[in-house]
Order: sequence, then structure tokens, then C-alpha cells
Amino acid sequence: MPVKWVLHWQPNQGSTVSSQILNEATQCVESINGVKEGRWKATLNYYKPLLRDQTNQAEFPRDFLGISLADQPNKYYFIIRSQRIVLEADSSIQLIMERLQSYKSKVALYFEGFQYQLGDFRLRVGKVVPTHSENVRGIVMEVEYLPISSMEKSRKVMEEFLEIWHEALSKRSLPGKFVNIDLNFGEFGLGDNYTPQHTAVRYALVMAHMIATVQAVRG
Amino acid sequence: MYSRGRWCDFTKYFELKKNNSMECVVQGIIETQHVEALEILLQGLCGVQRERLRVHELCLKSGPSLGNVSSEVRLLCDLDQPEPTWTVKHVGGAMRGPGADQISVMVRAMVESKVSKNALRMFNALGYKLDHELLKVGFAFHFQRTANISVSVSSVNKMPKVHAIDEAVPVTPGMQIVDVTAPATPVNYSEVAAAVSSFCEFLAPLVHLSKPFISTGVVPTAAAAAASLMSDGGGTAL
Repeated sequence: MPVKWVLHWQPNQGSTVSSQILNEATQCVESINGVKEGRWKATLNYYKPLLRDQTNQAEFPRDFLGISLADQPNKYYFIIRSQRIVLEADSSIQLIMERLQSYKSKVALYFEGFQYQLGDFRLRVGKVVPTHSENVRGIVMEVEYLPISSMEKSRKVMEEFLEIWHEALSKRSLPGKFVNIDLNFGEFGLGDNYTPQHTAVRYALVMAHMIATVQAVRG
Repeated sequence: MYSRGRWCDFTKYFELKKNNSMECVVQGIIETQHVEALEILLQGLCGVQRERLRVHELCLKSGPSLGNVSSEVRLLCDLDQPEPTWTVKHVGGAMRGPGADQISVMVRAMVESKVSKNALRMFNALGYKLDHELLKVGFAFHFQRTANISVSVSSVNKMPKVHAIDEAVPVTPGMQIVDVTAPATPVNYSEVAAAVSSFCEFLAPLVHLSKPFISTGVVPTAAAAAASLMSDGGGTAL
């Protein structure tokens, strides 16, 4: 599977994320000759334990999340980032979780937007919104380099692409930037060959950063 | 071992329609000495190659404070593959009531999902602990006869130490379990049940199959039937 980086929008101190920034980013892709291919959507659920005794809450993970990816319609991914666990399952695992009645999805988010082809790259730019709201909580951008599935081998070309992207976007003087977070996939038992599990872990990390940003602003 | 939820409301079944999340099940026991004859019979009936079965089944139970009710989930590791493959399975309550009593097979909720190898670690992290584990060793036939039917014949083995597969010993030496299962939906379960039931009649000379937990013991005339099958390789109709 092609290597993919997942970037997220980091607003400058004092500014917030909005649909306007998403529009600017989308226009920027089109300005560097990205060809629109259609829409994309991913869904993320935060699960909380249902407990008979709330005092035991610390025994259970606070960052248990599940994600369905646009590329893998029949699969579902669970991540417990704090314990470096990622699991790929069939979509039916969601029904199993429902039947167990031990965890419930408390927060659900959509990642949705447009997909573009740009030479050997596939780009997806999208907003992060709660499932029952239009309130933009974040912006993400997937950058996929189609010819290569080795993360090490693709690093240089991805970095070069991002330089071009940052330069194009900087002309729009937006109050923030897209950020890529490096992480050690080996800790999750994942290797150099890229898989959808890598993407699931990236999204978990993006969410953690977005939440930290929101908390920092509020703090 | 199974979650015994209340599940006799037929209208609930239709909610599950889109998920194909039921199964029809019967079980029986057979003496190990007659397993070879049963295999010959099954080979003739099913018309497919038998597959080896070597499955490590881990039954996990939720911890005391997790969930409003306690829950169980099974992890199945297929050891017969070059690389072990994992499945998570949830078995729910069986159909009850007059409708269910008229059906000779058990119809119950069941959902399964293939998973990557971290399943045990993940469920442990979520608060599920190992309740017991088994190693099932034998063979299975998977074929179509109105429904997709699977028949497995296996010895059930327990482990003296946690996950010690290589040291597993039979729970009931000299006896093996026969399982016949078929996936079903709320729309087609009675058809599937009829297909399973009708198939089981062919096995009656060697093994009596019934709803799980309702044991009818071994077939007293199995020895004669087995001898007949073994003497002519299964060519004689029983």
C-alpha cells in the first residue's frame, strides 16, 4: 500500500480553525494543478467504558478509539495510543462491541472533504466535524505517494513535496500551518512497509495533538 | 461460556438483518474409535476436501466493574495456517419460546470478525481477562446444501499452564465433539435450520446431534454402523 502522511492544521496562537482555512487549502491544491477526483470520508469514535463503579475508572484506557478509513470500507481499526496498541478488524467488530455493552462511543467525528490527484500523489483535504454538527474542529490533509510503500524510501520525496506545498500555501498568509508528526511505528509493532494500520495510528496521534491544542487555547 | 441474554423477541431479529448475525448450531459426541468412519461418511456426503482443524480458543470475560452486565468474548487462533490467524467471536442468547421449541436446532445470535494479531492484548487492555482456553484438534468440512454448513469433528484439549498449547491434553479422552453450524439471518434462519436438521439425519447412524447443552449421549449402534462404513470404504448406504 502506498505511503501516506497525515497532516493537521495547527493554528497560530490566538487564532482558530474554520471552514475558510479549509477553502483556502483546497484552492491551493487546485492552484498547483491538483485534479479533483471526488469526496472522501472517514469516521472516528472515542469509546468510554461503562462502569458499575466509577472509582475504578483509572484501570481502563482513556484513549480507546475506533476509526473507519475511506480506503478500507470493510475494515475497522482500534487504537489505544497510550499502550501502543493498534488492531485491524472487519467492520462487524463494531457490532461485537455494541453487543458486549462494555464500551460505548461517546464522541464521534467525521473527517470529510475532497480528494485530488497530483502527479504521483493523492491528496485529501478535509474538515473534522462532530457527527451531528457543522462546527469545524480541525483540518487534516492526507498526502499519499502512490509509487512507494516503504516509509524510509519515500521520506525524501514526501519532504520535498511538503516544501512545495508549504511554499504554495504561505502565499495565502493563513494564520497557521499544516504539521506532520513523526512517530515510532515500531512501538506499535508496525514495520517499514506501509499499511492501513499505520494510517489509523497517524489519525490517533493527530487527534491527540488537536485535543492538546484546544486544551492549550482554553488553558 | 455463552452469554445467555434474553432474546425471544422476533422483531429484534430484523434489526440484525443487515448484519447477517445469527447461526444455527447442533452438537453431538462420538467415540474416538468411530471418528474415522464418520470422516468417510462426511467425505461422501459433503463432496469437498476435509480441512485440518487446529484452533486455540480463548474465552475472555469482562472484569467485575466493567459493563452493566458481565460479558464474554472468544478469540480464536487458527494454528493450521502458515501464519496464525485470529478471529473474535461473540455468541449471544439463543432463540426461546414456542417458535424456538419447534426447531430442532439452536438458533442464536453470533457475530464474528477477523482481526490482526493484537486482539488478546487489546481486550486485556480493555479489561477482559482470560476465563479459560481450549485447543480443538480435528478436521472440518465446509460445504453448501441450501445453506453454508460447516461440520467439525474435534477433540477438545485443556492446557495445564496458561497458553501451553504443546502440553494440551484431552478433556474427555476417547470422545470427540461434533459441531454442525451454519450462518443465518433473521430472514432465512428457519430455512437454514431446516437444511442443518435435514443434513444431520444422514449422520444419525454414527452421531446424534441436538441443541448444545442438551446431550443425548453416543449412538448405541454406532459401532455397527462404523464397521459397515469401514469395511467397504463407505460405499454401502446405511
